[in-house]
Order: sequence, then structure tokens, then C-alpha cells
Amino acid sequence: MATEKFIYRHNGPRDEEISFILDKIGISSIEELINQTVPSSIRLKEPLKISSALTERQYYRRIHDIAAKNKVFETYIGMGYYDTITPAVILRNILENPSWYTSYTPYQAEISQGRLGALLNFQTMVTDLTAMELANASLLDEATAAAEAMIMMFNLRSRADAKAGKNVLFVDENIFPQTFEVIKTRSEPLNIEVQTGNFKECQLDENTFGCIIQYPAADGSIEDYKELVECAHEKGSLVAVAADLMSLALLIPPGEWDADIVFGSSQRFGVPMGYGGPHAAFFATREKYKRTIPGRIIGITKDRQDNLALRMALQTREQHIKRERATSNICTAQALLATMAGMYAVYHGADGIKRIALNIHGIAGTLAEELKKLGYTISIENFFDTLKIILPDGVSRFEIEQQALAAGINFRYISEKEVGISIDETTHLQNINDIINIFANANNKTVQEITEINVKIYFDKKFKRNSEYLKLDVFKKYRSETEMMRYIKMLERKDISLTHSMIPLGSCTMKLNSSTSMLPLSWIEFGGIHPFVPVDQAAGYHELFKELNEDLSEITGFADISLQPNSGAAGEYAGLMVIREFHKENGEGDRNIVLIPSSAHGTNPASGVMAGMKVVVVDCDENGNINVDDLRKKAEEHKEMLSSFMVTYPSTHGVFEESIMEM
Amino acid sequence: MDGANMNAQVGITNPAIIGADVCHLNLHKTFGIPHGGGGPGIGPIGVAKHLVPYLPGHPVIKSSGEKAITAVAAAPWGSASVLTITHAYIKMLGAEGLTDVTKIAILNANYLASTLKPYFGILYTGTNGRVGHEMIIECRNFKAEADITEADIAKRLMDYGFHAPTLSFPVHGTLMVEPTESESLQELNRFVEAMTSIYKEIQEIKDGKADKEDNVLKNAPHTATHVCGDDWPHAYARSKAAYPLKWIEDNKFWPASARVDDAYGDRNLMCSCAPIDEYRKSLYKFDELSE
Repeated sequence: MATEKFIYRHNGPRDEEISFILDKIGISSIEELINQTVPSSIRLKEPLKISSALTERQYYRRIHDIAAKNKVFETYIGMGYYDTITPAVILRNILENPSWYTSYTPYQAEISQGRLGALLNFQTMVTDLTAMELANASLLDEATAAAEAMIMMFNLRSRADAKAGKNVLFVDENIFPQTFEVIKTRSEPLNIEVQTGNFKECQLDENTFGCIIQYPAADGSIEDYKELVECAHEKGSLVAVAADLMSLALLIPPGEWDADIVFGSSQRFGVPMGYGGPHAAFFATREKYKRTIPGRIIGITKDRQDNLALRMALQTREQHIKRERATSNICTAQALLATMAGMYAVYHGADGIKRIALNIHGIAGTLAEELKKLGYTISIENFFDTLKIILPDGVSRFEIEQQALAAGINFRYISEKEVGISIDETTHLQNINDIINIFANANNKTVQEITEINVKIYFDKKFKRNSEYLKLDVFKKYRSETEMMRYIKMLERKDISLTHSMIPLGSCTMKLNSSTSMLPLSWIEFGGIHPFVPVDQAAGYHELFKELNEDLSEITGFADISLQPNSGAAGEYAGLMVIREFHKENGEGDRNIVLIPSSAHGTNPASGVMAGMKVVVVDCDENGNINVDDLRKKAEEHKEMLSSFMVTYPSTHGVFEESIMEM
Repeated sequence: MDGANMNAQVGITNPAIIGADVCHLNLHKTFGIPHGGGGPGIGPIGVAKHLVPYLPGHPVIKSSGEKAITAVAAAPWGSASVLTITHAYIKMLGAEGLTDVTKIAILNANYLASTLKPYFGILYTGTNGRVGHEMIIECRNFKAEADITEADIAKRLMDYGFHAPTLSFPVHGTLMVEPTESESLQELNRFVEAMTSIYKEIQEIKDGKADKEDNVLKNAPHTATHVCGDDWPHAYARSKAAYPLKWIEDNKFWPASARVDDAYGDRNLMCSCAPIDEYRKSLYKFDELSE
């Protein structure tokens, strides 16, 4: 076999080792082994129609070409995604380091103290900045975190309230559209009624179990939610706040105005936008709700030598233990990205984070002043990083857009008369001048070059944060790159990853994550793309999606693929929701029973419950195979209401069940 | 279909043949995206033709038709940047390579099953006595014979420099082992040697040669501070604790903690760095100097 072929590097056993193994297990060829293992009735008749293999070198060139088709513009769209500077010491020593990226979820605490420590930093950073008492070790993204907040508040209803059918969630209209939509998606199967409107005018009543608001709001405005929170608490409703972590360095954190839950994205803490992800969402709440907080929590305990040790806390709440009573199907967090965001806080510390936040705000403020001079109206006075610009008569959004595109700039086009600009950590003086030039030209004004950013607080002082944050040693000690590099290494050395030995975790498939496949992750052409840019700026990404779609369709034998679900559990959920929609479309929307074998992974029944389905468990026989008679019986019994049957194949017991076609 | 085990199907069979209408794909398992210490995990779904119109849409970037269900994630294409990893994986393996990968995964698993079988029961096999890409190892007998649980074995493996197999899933009192295609014969043999050595350690307890309480399994994992400590109260040698096999000397991994007490931490929930800060201050005198 030629050494330049990737398969030669991906697979472990050499040809002579394969012969040895075959001999050892008493079989003549791999083909015979497969014949004995996989029932002939389900074997593919023809080879996959996938292009022949590229060498690593060829692929590197190919992905380079694809990357070149993505256009990296200066992007001020905001809406939950902001350009950021990943400190190179974090990029090189974590994101590009297999000791960090090849490790598994830290269930085995004794050999995972490094990343548990890194995740504890993340939690501490979140509790500090939000001024809450308890944070988890990350969720998938801000929108799904909002849905988790909804479900947590729903589950926290008293028994009497649940019985009385208290099921209204109020969501303020000034929230990111993707957050609102995921809340809608997740609410509907659970019979939660989502009401929306302006929080200042909303009438909370005894049917409202929770409110979700955004701080600063989607249009950039910093609102005073104190009255709403008081009113909600009086009416027996909880309040969850979607917050911008960076803004909390300057703003009074929601924890200080009695919010019950604070969640959001930590993306702008050094994690590239990456055309939408992955990033770590954060989720913080009150100590008293610790038993209902979704996701994983890292906690401190002691080991047998009475030394402090970290481990995932309260694991008994995890879905793999609860099964049919599951209230969340969350399995995966965003550990690597949470680690990066936590390290960003470690590296910058309170002073650094505050300086970055102040600079962002100062640039936004300076820009606002200049735009006002050019005849534009800044409709929101209390902003952190996002301006809503009202165009004067005679200036069209189209003109601004054309000029911006020509200059390699993306704004947020809210309406024909409104343009949004969100400033981020990377914005500098030249960018401001570029922006001002566009707006000056569009309104036929001349403009003087700005030479200084006026860094000060532009919003109402009543919103200004006075409390301290990130005061602990870990956020003070590692300012120089040398110290930071050693700190990361110190943690890294505590963990077993694939760089040390095989990780034989069943059902987890800890195979090679090749270096070549990881290289493009560090490129700005992939990292620097905002998910809401015009599609033609992400042509490289779309070429890649198209090829991936075709290949994955071929591999699965299916017609089409959705790349949207950002975890295995989210995929299960999405699949069930698609089936549900299919039944609805066919006038059979009441079908709500999903059959799941007793051998299934715990996420399966949990996903079923989240999709509004009733789980009926199918037995397994003493050999671990699904009992086909029981399946038939239960399918027959529930045929009127049967929605779907969910099966893992080969089974979770590692066997290709012969009866799969019959099932 | 739950596509968790799709890695045993690629190029050999597929969910559509089996009759599934929908299947999710764990790109972080089957298609080469790393686990990242607990995420990201990526779960695209594939669907049969009649379900295509319902694939999820997005409120900001329109990416699908009218019948699409509403978004399930914040971004239209989910965790887009790491999809490059799966793209690389497929393009560099090609049709033939993708199929080879599946075959070698099954081959490696059957090798482990056959070499471990003299010591550990293999719980489920197909009609031909073969396993797929992974297997479940029986440990319940050790509980009866020597009061050793699957967790004790998992912790002892750390002293040998290995991460444990999956514990008690899907069957309580067992270990589930999946070697994957990427492991070479020498690495598989190291694992088998470690497991066999642990088997012998269990036999010593069973035969009364080692204490039922104070033994290498119950006390595992052994930290460097413990093994090097002046106080060594155990009946067995320090070298047996830390270097039970010769090759461990080449690349010893020292677990950072002795066995953690889950219950204590759950009773006294502490989830921020503050207690550690306090603890460190009590250890290092120079912290006092700096204050």
C-alpha cells in the first residue's frame, strides 16, 4: 500500500498485522469476517459512489481552493455573532492541540482533572459576569439554551400550577429571531403557549410560568427590566435573560436585578464565528435551582487522599439514568469551546475584559456621534455595542448596501430605513473611518478623518456595573504568554487523550482525528465568516456543504441531509420532529407514540419526550436482541397512534441483528 | 434510526436498506470530528424522499422550502466550521477507504473479543459468534468472586495508562469496548495485556493472595504523591501499584487524583474556582508574600 494514501495512516493495523489477526481469530479473510458479521440480506450490492481518495497533500490544496471562495468581509451584523481575536497561545495550545481536542467527556474524573479545571474556569467566569450563583459547563448555542431555560422554568412549576395548566411563556419581541424560533420549535410539542410583545406593555397573569428577555436587546437597546422582574415574581413567574457576556463587563448584571436564569453565547470570548459554530452557550441560575439546571456541571469534591478533586457533579440528573422520565436530551456540551472561552478570561483577566468591553463601547459611541453629525438618527440612546441607524430622507438602504459591499463591509439591514451596526473586539480606527465614509457619501456629506476613539460610557449611568468580577487568582496569574502556555500545559498533562493511548470507549468511536482534517479550522476563511452574511460570500462553505450532502446521502442511502442539528441528541430530536410534521401534513397529527427498545441509548426516549411523544419500550431477549414478537405486539396495540420506531443499528450491544428488516 | 453506530455500516450497508426513514449521524464519532473533551458533537440528519420537504429551516437565512419545520439550532448550517473535518475525512478516504475503515473496525473488535475471551465473558454475539464493531465484557462474576466491580477495573486501567471502556452501558455491571480501526496491533496488544494483568490481580483477591479491601484494584488509581509518599500502608509493593507491567516505564501516566468521592461533592455542591483558590493559598506560602 502506498504510504501517501490516507487510509494507510488512518487505519492502525499494517497488512501483515491484518493477516496475523485473521489467523488469530480463525478466519481466512476480512470478507469472510464481514459475511459472518453482517447479515447478507442488508449488504450493499454495489460500492459507494464517492470519488476516489485524495492524498493528504491533494486534499490540502483542494480545501485551500475551497477556502479561497469564502470572502472575509468586515462584518458588523451582530445578532449573536461577533468577530473576536483568539489569542494565539490559546489557538495553538488548545484548538490545534490533540491533547485537548481528542479527549473524551470527563466521566473518568481522575484522568480528566485538566479539562475539568478549564471548564470550572468557564463556570466561574460565567457566574462572575452574570452575578448568578451557579453555572453549567456549556450548552449548544444561545437559541437552544433559551429553549432549555423555557423547559427548566416549565418544570419548576408547582404541582398545583402544573395541574392548573399554567403554560404561558412570555418572550419579549426584542429578541434575536433565531432564539425566538428555536423557542417556538421546542415549545410546541410540549403544549407551551408562547406569547410575545413589548415587555413594557405585557400583562402577565397567573397563567404565565416564565418570561424570556434579552439584555442588551436584539436592536441593541439596554432596557431596565427591574419592574418586569418584580411583576413576574409577584405573579409566580420566573425570568430568564439572554445576555451578552461581554456587555456584562460594563452593565449591571442580571443577577443583580433578580433574574432567575441568565444564558447566552460565549462566542465572542475568543471563539471564531465559523459561519455559525460551534460555540459554547452558557447557562447560569440560582443555587436553589441546582437540581433542575440543564447540562453538565463541574463541581469540586475530594478524593480518597483527601485532596481537592474535580468531577462532573449531580450526574444522577443526567438523561442516561432517567430514561422515560427525562426532561432534557442534552448529552453533549461544547467543552472545547467553553475551555477556549474560559481561557480567554484567564488570559485577559478582569482588567483585560473590561478594557476590551470599554473599547467596543467607545468605538460604538464615537461612531454614533459621527453619524449624528452626518444627519443620521441614532434611535437608541442606551446601547453597548450595537447602533440602530435611521436613514434620513434621500438616503436609501440600497445605496449604503452597494457601497458597503464594494468596500468589503457587511451591515445589518433591518428595513428600508434602518441599518444596524454591531462593533466587536477587532474593530479599529480605520474601520470606523471606512464606515463613516460610506454614510457620508450616501448623504452627500464630506467628512474629516477620525484620529481618536473617545472611550467613555455613553449609556445612562444607572445601568453601569459597579460590582467586581474575575477576582480569583486564576484570572490574575497568567498574563504573559509564557505563563499562559505553561498553565495550559499544566492542565493538559493531567488528562488522558488519544495522544497517550487508545480510548476503548464502546459506543463512542474514539478513532483518529487526522491532523490534515484539523488544519483548516485555524484559517480565517472558515473562522472569520458570520453565519448571516449574503450566501455568495460563503461560496466555499456552500461548495463544501453540497459535496458533504451528496456524499452523506450516498453513504446513508437517503435523499437529502440537514446539516443544522449541532449535536447527536439535537439530530435525534430533529428527526422525530420531521416525522411528526410528516404525520401532521397527512392529517395524522395525533400520532404520538414512539417505540424504543430497552437497549437504546438514554437520549432516545429523552428526545421522544422532547418531541412531544409518548415512549413505549420494546423488550429485548436474553441475547440482547430486540424481541420482534414484542415489537409486533406493541406496534399492533398502538397502531392507531403509532408515529415511529427508533432503533440503533448495529445494536447498542454491538450486534448486527438478523431481524432488522423484519423490524 | 439512531445513527450512533453508523461507523459499522459505512460502505457495507446503510439505513435506507434497513428500512429507516430518518437517521442522524454523529459526525464526531463516525466521521472523524474529535470529541473535544465533551463537545462539539454534530448530528446532521438524513431522510428518505418523502420527508425531505420537512427538513429544518431558518428564520434569518432561508435554506429550505415552505413545509420545513422551524429551526432546531441557532445557526442555519449548525456547527459549520467543523464540517470541514468530515469533508476531509470522506474526501481523503474515498469509497474504498470508507469501506475499509468499517471492515478494520469490525476486525479489530473481533480481535479484542477473541483475545479477551479466555478471561472475560463476551456478553452478546451474532449468530456466527462474532461481534460487530464493539463488544460488551462481562464483569458481574468478579463482584461475586472477589467483590470487584466494573468501576474498580476502570480505575485500575488508569494505573496502566488507559482510559476505561464505557461503564455499565447498556448493561449494568459490564464494560463496553470499542477499539476502532485506528488502533494498531501493538496498541491492541498493550490493552489486552493490561486487561489480562488486571484479570490476574482479581484472581489474586479471589484466591486469597491479596486482601479483599486493601488491594491494587480497590485503591486504584494510584497517584504519584501517594506512591512516593512516606506513608505506605498497603500490603502490596509500590512498584505493583504504579508499574505493574514493564512497558509502563516507557510512558507512565500519573492520574492527578486518587479515586474521587462523587457523593461528597454532591452533598456539598461547589461549582466555582473559589474553594480551589483558598486551598492553594493554604499550600503555597508565596501567596501570602504577594498579598
